[in-house]
Amino acid sequence: MSPARINWREVFARFGLVMALVALVAILSLLSDRFLTPSNVVNVLRQISINAIIACGMTVVIIGRGIDLSVGSLLALTGVVGAGLAVGGLPAGFAILAALALGTALGTFNGLFVAYAGIAPFIVTLAGLTIFRGAALAYTDGRPITGLPPLFLTLGSGTFLGLPAPIWLMLAFLLVTHVILRFTALGRAVYAIGGNEEAARLSGIPVRRVKAFTFAYSGLAAALAAMVLNGRLNSAQPSAGVMFELDAIAAVVVGGTSLFGGRGGVFGTLVGALIIGVINNGMNLLNVPSFYQQIVKGGVILAALLIERIVATRRT
Amino acid sequence: MALLRMSEVQKSFGQVVALAGVDFELEAGEVHALVGENGAGKSTLMKILAGVQPPDSGSMVLADRPVRFASVNEAQAHGIVMVYQELALVPSLSVAENLFLGKLPPLVGHAALIRRARERLAEVELSLDPGSEVGRLGIGERQLIEIARALAREGRILVLDEPTAALSASESERLFGIIAKVKAAGVGIVYISHRLEEVFRVADRVTVLRDGQRVGTRRVAETSADEIVQLMVGKSVRRHHRAARGEERTLGTFEAAGPNLEPLSIDLSAGEIVGLAGVIGSGRERILPTLFGLEGSASWGGAPLRSPRDAIRRGIVLVPSDRKTQGLVLDLSVQENVSLSTLPRLQRLGFMDARRERAQTRHWIERLSLRPPHPHKPVFELSGGNQQKVVIAKTLATEPKVLLLDEPTRGVDVGARAELYDVIDGLSQRGLGLLLSSSDTEELIGLCDRILVFRGGRVVTELPSPFVYEEVVAHVTGAHQLA
Repeated sequence: MSPARINWREVFARFGLVMALVALVAILSLLSDRFLTPSNVVNVLRQISINAIIACGMTVVIIGRGIDLSVGSLLALTGVVGAGLAVGGLPAGFAILAALALGTALGTFNGLFVAYAGIAPFIVTLAGLTIFRGAALAYTDGRPITGLPPLFLTLGSGTFLGLPAPIWLMLAFLLVTHVILRFTALGRAVYAIGGNEEAARLSGIPVRRVKAFTFAYSGLAAALAAMVLNGRLNSAQPSAGVMFELDAIAAVVVGGTSLFGGRGGVFGTLVGALIIGVINNGMNLLNVPSFYQQIVKGGVILAALLIERIVATRRT
Repeated sequence: MALLRMSEVQKSFGQVVALAGVDFELEAGEVHALVGENGAGKSTLMKILAGVQPPDSGSMVLADRPVRFASVNEAQAHGIVMVYQELALVPSLSVAENLFLGKLPPLVGHAALIRRARERLAEVELSLDPGSEVGRLGIGERQLIEIARALAREGRILVLDEPTAALSASESERLFGIIAKVKAAGVGIVYISHRLEEVFRVADRVTVLRDGQRVGTRRVAETSADEIVQLMVGKSVRRHHRAARGEERTLGTFEAAGPNLEPLSIDLSAGEIVGLAGVIGSGRERILPTLFGLEGSASWGGAPLRSPRDAIRRGIVLVPSDRKTQGLVLDLSVQENVSLSTLPRLQRLGFMDARRERAQTRHWIERLSLRPPHPHKPVFELSGGNQQKVVIAKTLATEPKVLLLDEPTRGVDVGARAELYDVIDGLSQRGLGLLLSSSDTEELIGLCDRILVFRGGRVVTELPSPFVYEEVVAHVTGAHQLA
């Protein structure tokens, strides 16, 4: 092959995702003149912010070759506990910090079972999914908590420099996650464990501690998403976040992170969340009935994985 | 009339000639042993027979009819069955299901299956419950089931590759009994082994391969262990010389014990390379994982080594035997792999210190002359020899006192091998203590100051340098005891 020739396989592997997003945006802006307006773009970003925040945590777990099915329930539990503490009289700032700490603790609980008891992440977090949901319903007796203090509302609907707070929180969390994954020893260890756990262990990496961390981080992400959701709804619902784990996993895998671990990153996840968000938004604008929207969404996930499978450079 | 006649079989892998025109014959009802040092071509010859690989040229005649196998299935259809060292059973299925795996008719009654399995097991005098799960059985029993399965496929030729490697003494006895029965039924058996005492016990004839050539075939009754060792070794040419060492400074003492390893201790001096020799199953292959805290129990200087982290912290590092599954994260780059064991010291204020990491990687790429010298290339794109250099760089970056090398040149081509030998030699010059576990006798002779020979889970001899090739081979294969 001559050096001047473009390696299309390589190009697709690196930029295919962004190209797909651009193509999608182009098509939708042709189909609807309301699509590519500033207000609708902000709208899409705000709509994906909660999913993207959860998906950041999920990306870390999946790169470490795990999976976290408990995030939706964890979001509900930390949401109602944070709201409950604030309504009960704790200063709002402390209530929010307490909710974030609780999320981290619950994630650690998952992580300890995975890393130290050696139970499959799928099973541990499936158990977490029902335990946390049950706890959220028990804590609130099944009723939403209302009358949240102003700070909560700020997180959900405040604006800064013209953009809604959820978008800033999403971007900040993406950046923090990216820095951890790419510029710290901890992040490097996550990739190593996901890529080859045995080699990581023989290299002296504290495999169990790092695995527990990934789940703790996912718990933190879900708790942060809970705060944003509380603010947007102006209440805390014990039934919030049902199926959110699947949306997050979809964003991660559409974003090119391998479910087999060791490969991927949060910018891919952001693009994945955008692709899903843009499709949802576009179909709403085009008045596609919601039943069909679900079918299309599933189809997109399958197509993304199929394309990844085809263009992925296989190793020998 | 010979059951099988292979003539002028040739096979090359790239530049490397594995078989340079080998003849091999097998009679019905004969046990024909195939011996030779590592890399002599035994496995390649048998893979060709079993249809795993096609030969480059040469012919095979089976029961007077020329044959050519394009696949393992085709070879099996002709009654050629290979029993591999690595067992090929499904642990979650029952003994009976495993016996007839792939040969089951679409509808099988449970009772009928169990009955047929029991018949097969009886043929090899295995008193096992056909309904029990294979995963619950010992490795020896599994090996015997594999042989029963081979016979269930109505084999005419049975190839056994190091069949006793995982067997206890009593299980080996059972195996020899089975071999006698199978042989009496007219099956031809090819018996690959490094253990000459077994060869002399079970085989009728023995063929010796060396460097891809047949150097002789003898009737066992008319030869001696000494002669076989001579044939295996040939004119001993030493390809690598070890410089004499100066002063001795003791680094410490290893103690180790494990399930298949009797308690032993090894003193190690600075700059010393101690060789560990022994066939598979001798306990030799268990030493280094034990010393690295992966199994059994071990200590260094009196304090226990409980985990790889423990060992690395105390200056002991391992280059594991399988670099792809144990040594490297294949998707990561050269630099990321080199840094794996030194992550704590490559960070500053919690962040990776990019400059120091680059400098460390560049240093090792140069020092080990890694090719291509690109720190950001994913390691799965490198050749075997260069991958091994990455593993060595990773371990050396921790500035260890002791380096444990487990089969360091497995799957590495000849040129890269010589380079690795220079690296290993250079490390000892700098005062590292090295333990080198290898199944390649020439490698041990060329690199080591002394060699510990293992058999039956313990050290049976310690050979001092300078070594005599024949003597080392005689000790490793057990020919020494037969003489």
